[in-house]
Amino acid sequence: MRTLFILSAFLLSSMSAAAQHHHGDSSMLKAEKVSDHSLYHLKAEWITHRNESVTLSQFKGEPVIVVMFYGNCTQVCPILIRDTWRLYNSIDESLRSSVNVLAVSFDRENDSPEVLKKYAEYEQLNIEGWHFVTAKEADIRSLAMMLGVQYAKKSDGEFAHSNLVSVLDTEGKVAVRVEGLNQPMTSAARKVENMLKHHTMQ
Amino acid sequence: MRSQRNIYGLKSWALTGIVGLLVSLLNPVMAQQERVLIPAGSFHSILPEVKGEPISVDSFYIDKTAVTNEDFLQFLQENDSWQKDEIPSIFAAQNYLNHWEEASTPGLEAIGENRPVTHVSWFAANAYCSDKGGRLPSLNEWEYSAQLMDFDSMQEMNRFSTELIGWYSSVDAKNTKAVGSTGIQNRHGVQDQFGLIMEWVEDYKPIIADELSLDCGTVGRLQQLGNTYSYAASIRYITRMSFNPKTTTGMVGFRCAYNIEDQESAKNSEL
Repeated sequence: MRTLFILSAFLLSSMSAAAQHHHGDSSMLKAEKVSDHSLYHLKAEWITHRNESVTLSQFKGEPVIVVMFYGNCTQVCPILIRDTWRLYNSIDESLRSSVNVLAVSFDRENDSPEVLKKYAEYEQLNIEGWHFVTAKEADIRSLAMMLGVQYAKKSDGEFAHSNLVSVLDTEGKVAVRVEGLNQPMTSAARKVENMLKHHTMQ
Repeated sequence: MRSQRNIYGLKSWALTGIVGLLVSLLNPVMAQQERVLIPAGSFHSILPEVKGEPISVDSFYIDKTAVTNEDFLQFLQENDSWQKDEIPSIFAAQNYLNHWEEASTPGLEAIGENRPVTHVSWFAANAYCSDKGGRLPSLNEWEYSAQLMDFDSMQEMNRFSTELIGWYSSVDAKNTKAVGSTGIQNRHGVQDQFGLIMEWVEDYKPIIADELSLDCGTVGRLQQLGNTYSYAASIRYITRMSFNPKTTTGMVGFRCAYNIEDQESAKNSEL
């Protein structure tokens, strides 16, 4: 993490220096353009269980594991969250610090940042890089549409929903989709490792 | 244009200022579409949660008419990233706003400023409604509102039902009429939910969609309700399920809904 910070600080300063010297260099602009298929285009603000605000684009350069769930879900969601942990835990330990996890609740009414904090603690996942988040309704639904997650609130307050763990690559594009519960995570973990290796080589 | 004219000896810059001030004062009102309160109630859905049980819906506000080309153009002028030549492909299919000539000058006379905007993706519709302090209506809200129609007689109801089926089987996307032109409205004054275009709703693809396919058997199973709306509704549900959120067709537009709290607080802040 620290080396990354130093590296990005170096990159930033060299970029601004380059920008000063090559004014209007269009290749510079192209490099910064967000891919057409990137989820970074979703300008949503996510409020984490630490009461901090995050956006998807701030994870640029790092993969993000995304899962959608809700806190009151006692049957399926603990499995879904455990699946997410299995993927995270299968990633080479030396690379794990560059992997982010966004666990998005679609239950806006009940899952406040405080409730999500308790949830994270209960699941023993209040760890660095993991974000249990809520947002505006339209943003939660947009993310679900982009990932292909369906959910609907039932009259008893429970949600019917798809079970999906996705990974966004270092540019924010959906690179991995693991559908269903209790799926093997090894190949997804290798893909995440490759993303990071490729990214640091560039 | 108006500000260029020199009326009553006012300097044009002064007039520009005054007109500008008036426009900015009036704008929130002018730009705001007329909204209708739909009181809480329940309706029989063709996709009930529990078979035979009605679905309850809380009260909400909804636009009286669909969003027009003119409304949408105004939104684009304030939100560059949703313009035709700016929108990333993750948010819309190739033919987004296909009926517009240019992003900034769509040729409103030709396409009709009062016609509903179509060729808009779910993402664009969702962004528009968010921008207006609202949201897309939920599937159940939309369907509930659509069923709140009064008929004078059984005959009248049957005639309407037949017409509706005819309309769904031949939506003329090329010759969309102006909003408010169908003469169809619910008892609270919400217009054209039938007979003009199809409309995006927040959860247009209900969770059971994966188990359903677009075959006749599905239509048959969906059609168990057996009232005025059910056959047309089954066509509508099934058509909606075939969309993805990037879909842009000449048949689909949208209107927005608003939570009661948001609408009330917006009113209070205007006073």
